[in-house]
Amino acid sequence: MSKDLYATALQSTLTEIQKICPDIKYSFIFTEDGTIITEDGEADPLMEETVHSFQRLAEKAVAIGGLDALSIDGDHGKLRVSRVNNLYLVVKASPHADTTYLYSVTNVIVPTVLKLLEKISPTPLKLMPSQQLVVDTLTGFFAGDNVQIDENHLKEWSQHLDGEDVDEVEIETVDGKKTRVGVKEISDKKRQGKGLILIPEKACRELEAKKGELVKVKPITS
Amino acid sequence: MSSRSELEEIPSENELEEKTENLHVSLKNIKAMEGVIGYILRNSKSASVDIKDPSKIIDYAILSSTVLDSGQCMTDAFELGRVNNIVLEGGNIKVLSLTIGDNRISVFMNKKVDHNAIFKDLRLK
Repeated sequence: MSKDLYATALQSTLTEIQKICPDIKYSFIFTEDGTIITEDGEADPLMEETVHSFQRLAEKAVAIGGLDALSIDGDHGKLRVSRVNNLYLVVKASPHADTTYLYSVTNVIVPTVLKLLEKISPTPLKLMPSQQLVVDTLTGFFAGDNVQIDENHLKEWSQHLDGEDVDEVEIETVDGKKTRVGVKEISDKKRQGKGLILIPEKACRELEAKKGELVKVKPITS
Repeated sequence: MSSRSELEEIPSENELEEKTENLHVSLKNIKAMEGVIGYILRNSKSASVDIKDPSKIIDYAILSSTVLDSGQCMTDAFELGRVNNIVLEGGNIKVLSLTIGDNRISVFMNKKVDHNAIFKDLRLK
């Protein structure tokens, strides 16, 4: 079973749970390393903000033996982030929802689906981590059409792909503009290890990405 | 139409001090309960910390502040309205955090303690 199908199965589970529990207004799952699991691989800003806040909290929660769950009870709704195996499940419910019932449903169904998925496919859930890199421009006659990033990112992705090389990446700007482009490791030693992505000027113009801006980069897998 | 906050009377300084004093008394009683590890109460004028293990004070103070700040970020993002309480559950300890007026409170306890009872007790003050 591919990782995409794994994500689809989990996403479908959440959708079905939402159907039987209309008090659930929003839900999603993310992994311990902060990777958000969605059917189409696209995370909305709300998901990213939640994961960021939760990770900040998880760092400090070492003082109480790690972080198992977070519940926020507000006048207009309730939010719970709970650990399910090595995943975190985020559920937003209406203010008067019977949370004991809701959380028992989600915390029974999701682990059951995970167990089932593990039986069907023993491959653990490992989603391709995207990288946030700082744009620098690639100029000169030999700049070519490929972007350049640090070798360690390419190696990390390759490990996730069981040794398969990564030759193409998708770049997404903060404005949501995307492009697919070939990738190589940074050849200029002075610019290595700085979290940069060197983008040829032409591609920079197309993306409307400026030097110093952050972009999200993820590998394209065949 | 007047909003809820406009309709609420602004408490005088004496009333605020009295409220904080009541919270202190409540928290001292709560601290004496079985399974409660301690508490942190902070407002714009003072802070009081009573944690059984003094070596944990700084870690707990940082955690308390992060819970309330991160909780507020998530509350805003998910449009949860006014926060009643935030509960953070760790491996063996949980934290109940809430804001009452100017006072930011975190109560640390073992996971078996009924945090809802503590929350109700504090809200009544």
